[in-house]
Amino acid sequence: MLMLLSEDSLTINSLADNFDMSRPAVSKHIKILDNAGFISIQDIGRERYCTLKKDGFEELQAWLSYFDQFWGAKLKKLENLLNNKLPN
Amino acid sequence: MAKIIKHQFFFSHPQETVWEYLTKSELMAQWLMKNDFQPIVGVDFQFRTGPIPSLNFDGIFYCKVLEVVPFKKLSYSWKSGPGEGKITLDSVVIWKLEPKDKGTEVFLEHRGFAKKENLDFYNGLLHGWVEKFQNIDKLLNAAHHGNTNS
Repeated sequence: MLMLLSEDSLTINSLADNFDMSRPAVSKHIKILDNAGFISIQDIGRERYCTLKKDGFEELQAWLSYFDQFWGAKLKKLENLLNNKLPN
Repeated sequence: MAKIIKHQFFFSHPQETVWEYLTKSELMAQWLMKNDFQPIVGVDFQFRTGPIPSLNFDGIFYCKVLEVVPFKKLSYSWKSGPGEGKITLDSVVIWKLEPKDKGTEVFLEHRGFAKKENLDFYNGLLHGWVEKFQNIDKLLNAAHHGNTNS
């Protein structure tokens, strides 16, 4: 669903057409994606449109890269601190 | 992409010493960040550092001590956001210390990242699990109703 939405905003019905799943099942998936912050839903006319929020994914990945590097550097700093301050 | 951050580091110092540097506020400030940490379960504390606008981060990590096993394990929640009480990062940091010959092995895990569980679930879906569930659904429906979902 996320791959489809990454190409274009879709109504829940159009989304459902791509899956051999009942419309309530699709709505359930959409609700989870919405709660998780990956998509936004707008009611336009009689349709519900789903749009991918790129922000959610990108921020998550950005934090992961940041922290991986952050902890590596902090642990090194701790090592230097321990080695400089105390005898081994 | 790894979704849990894991680091392992050996320090040629005794376990008690390393533990001190993980649990005393003034010592932590020297290598980690300024903080008002106390090694007491349930206590809220903060780390303060420079803001990072590109990460929607105002420079404050809001944390709560979750677990303390003296000299062995330390865990705290680690949250942040753009400010005004909004939280966009919700994670957990876990430290484990193991005594080793001539030093201490430190294991760090930084996990949670808010929507990680949902991300995993949907990664799974993108890799074909949904087809398996649909097949089960079809089989169940055929057994119960003698027809498939429209």
